[in-house]
Amino acid sequence: MKIEKFENKLLNETVYCARHPSGLEIKVMPKSGYKSAFAMFAVKYGSIDTFLQQKDGSFTPIPEGTAHFLEHKLFESEELDAFKLFEKTGAYANAYTSFEQTAYLFKGSENILQSLGYLLDFVQHPYFTAETVQKEQGIIGQEIRMYLDDPEWVIMLNLLKALYKDNPVRVDIAGTQESISHIDDKLLYSLYNSFYNPSNMILTVVGSVDPEEIFSKVETSIIREKKTVPERKFTVDSPESVKKYISSKLSVGRKQFMLGYKEHILKPLISLEDEIASQVMLEAVFGVSTDFYKQMLDDGLISLDFSAFLFNGYGFSVFMFGGGSDDPEKTVKAIKDRINQVKENGISADDFERAKRKIYGKFVMLYNEIDVSANYLVSLYFTGYEPFAEMNIIRDLTVEKAEKRLACLNEEGCALSVIEPMDK
Amino acid sequence: MYDLREIARGVRLVSVKASDYKTAMISVSMALPLNENAAVNALLLNLLKRSCKAYPDYTSLHKKLDELYGASVFSSVSKNGDAQVLTLYAECLDDRFSLDGKSIISETIDLLKDIIFRPNVENESFGDDKLSLEKRLLTESIIEEQNDKRAYAFKKCVEHMFNDEPFGINATGTCETVKNAEMSQIYDAWKNMLSRAVIQITVVGNIDAGIVDDSFKEDFSDIDRNPYDLKTIFKPVAVESRRIEETVAANQGKLVMGFRAGTENANDNYYAVRVMTDIFGGGTHSNLFQNIREKMSLAYYCSAGFVSTKGFIAVQSGIDTEKEGAVTQGVLEQLKDVADGKFEDSIIEASKRSLKEGFTFSSPDAICKYYTSQLLDENIETPDEVIKKIEKVTKEDICKAAEKVSLDTVFMLVADSEEVNADEN
Repeated sequence: MKIEKFENKLLNETVYCARHPSGLEIKVMPKSGYKSAFAMFAVKYGSIDTFLQQKDGSFTPIPEGTAHFLEHKLFESEELDAFKLFEKTGAYANAYTSFEQTAYLFKGSENILQSLGYLLDFVQHPYFTAETVQKEQGIIGQEIRMYLDDPEWVIMLNLLKALYKDNPVRVDIAGTQESISHIDDKLLYSLYNSFYNPSNMILTVVGSVDPEEIFSKVETSIIREKKTVPERKFTVDSPESVKKYISSKLSVGRKQFMLGYKEHILKPLISLEDEIASQVMLEAVFGVSTDFYKQMLDDGLISLDFSAFLFNGYGFSVFMFGGGSDDPEKTVKAIKDRINQVKENGISADDFERAKRKIYGKFVMLYNEIDVSANYLVSLYFTGYEPFAEMNIIRDLTVEKAEKRLACLNEEGCALSVIEPMDK
Repeated sequence: MYDLREIARGVRLVSVKASDYKTAMISVSMALPLNENAAVNALLLNLLKRSCKAYPDYTSLHKKLDELYGASVFSSVSKNGDAQVLTLYAECLDDRFSLDGKSIISETIDLLKDIIFRPNVENESFGDDKLSLEKRLLTESIIEEQNDKRAYAFKKCVEHMFNDEPFGINATGTCETVKNAEMSQIYDAWKNMLSRAVIQITVVGNIDAGIVDDSFKEDFSDIDRNPYDLKTIFKPVAVESRRIEETVAANQGKLVMGFRAGTENANDNYYAVRVMTDIFGGGTHSNLFQNIREKMSLAYYCSAGFVSTKGFIAVQSGIDTEKEGAVTQGVLEQLKDVADGKFEDSIIEASKRSLKEGFTFSSPDAICKYYTSQLLDENIETPDEVIKKIEKVTKEDICKAAEKVSLDTVFMLVADSEEVNADEN
């Protein structure tokens, strides 16, 4: 394998990258002085994959929640469950499924190569039967019910359902009780074989490791062969397909709101520059150090849980504003007034510079934690960027770029999601 | 390793020199008796962190933090046994990332000291408008505790189980006590905190202990220190067990089983109970995970946690309400299996390895929180010392520790799913 080195002088970090003949991308960031390492084996297969591309290029639908179901089942094997293997090294092993990916991970301080062997091994060896799949439906069923009681999750998913008519980002990551009842062992094996291909995956290791040792361990541990990877289906929702208001009742203490502005995108992904420009813009216009924030707080329109962020990924991009409010309509009106006012007058140079400095600091801090850096390296790779791409972008960002992002907030793509307390 | 110094009576400084990280972290942790003043103290802490003389309002303080490359100041109000602990944290980039040559760490520490010692106070008042804002925010956060059903059920179990002990008091008070707090009380609470709290300052980063020591010494030099002698009530055995329930509109019920751990103080048999609790309901190797989740398929999570500072073990699980009997019985059987020694030696090894990983820290944030939590311990222990003691625990120690555990209070948050689903339509 040819090893490529990416260095960042300011951060004093180096990432070693290589592509295994199977197509697996490998990235290693050694960190001196650290006692532990974090490894993540990720596949580009998440809850938004509700279609599978066939050989002729056409797409057939698959039940909601398959990526998450597979994540649960891969920990099992014919002999020893993966959790049991990691007991031998003491490493903490886990996995998660997001909208866009499934990731298997461990964190450990001793016998890291041995743990890495287990990780690569269990993800490449699926084993389940009709019975074990059925048993898992009980556990996942409880997980789904747990999230249905979580107001933060419900308010966001409701918002996505209101904003998107067809895009699968509107689907719950775990699926529904109904959809998972259609999942059986045969389906899981066939989806595994389609998505879990090395050329659709990445391994990232960050921390107390020697890159050479990692590369040679991986070299001999990948048993799956390179195959053509199915393309993701890109679903374009029309800008108008928005339900303006959605609400649910839950047993919450007070009303919660989440306002979303859908960005109408014609390519599946927005650029990293647009993503970072959005973060700086939101900080400069709505951040905790703005006069706007103080005014909203003093007027009782927001609480300290108020947040403004960009939620974007393959096929979706939404500016979100949320928190608790006794009068969501009034709060939303104040946010909209702020948007219009800054659109007209522009972002002040002071606010922009301060926000930029803060986001620069956040990017540097990201490399403090081994798990956070590993996740970020994976996200850069899946969106087509080299390591440390963000550092140059934040350095060169101009106020015009930030203002251009503010201009994306349009009334036609806007929806409000509200959670109301149950009637007592 | 750490450097330990006494700055004033009952004020110690723990510093850990760490130069491989990109950030530095500092905490100032202050322990007071947990009583009817909980809300007043919590309001005080929130007022303090929002401004100071040099940066007199929320906006100017945050502008300063932004200039310090997104440094942050945050706080927590928690319980350590029957004490209320107010902690202020500050985290910032290491000086080598400064773009203008100024020391980020010293400026951040100065800001934190300003917040604690030089608040924006005039005529013994923090400002009526500021207090009413903090009252609103704190009341909202108390009301919103019910949004997270798992945390809410835990809190209710604690409230019932310790209803005649200070530990049963909510760390940030109640809506009622928040409402009744008066400015004069807040001002007195500030003075009281500076003179009477048991204080630990913890610093992790690329900075010399001597510099922090000198700088805080100056601030404490004109404060007359008379620290509290903080004590916690321990009831090693449950007198009787009881069950309390509350119904909410929800999809999933939440079960919390509160046990007395059989310990008589925070250090009593600590390592054995810690390993025992981990085997009973810690990680994926534990009895509860393997049986209640994997074998019986009754729950997505079912775990046990040990609160050593109060001799309390809690088992938490999210379940179908009608399965409560099966889960409760299953949990008690698993506890009995641990007491009876019905587990492999390999599980003890697995548990020790997993606990050891839990004491291996890889960021100033984690290191700082680890030392901060030892605020009320007479002797400070390094993670390595803890690991060594964990390794010495034997199977016999584990069984004996489990035998001493007794069930006190079961709290069941019953889910009325018909009501929640009716409201959906």
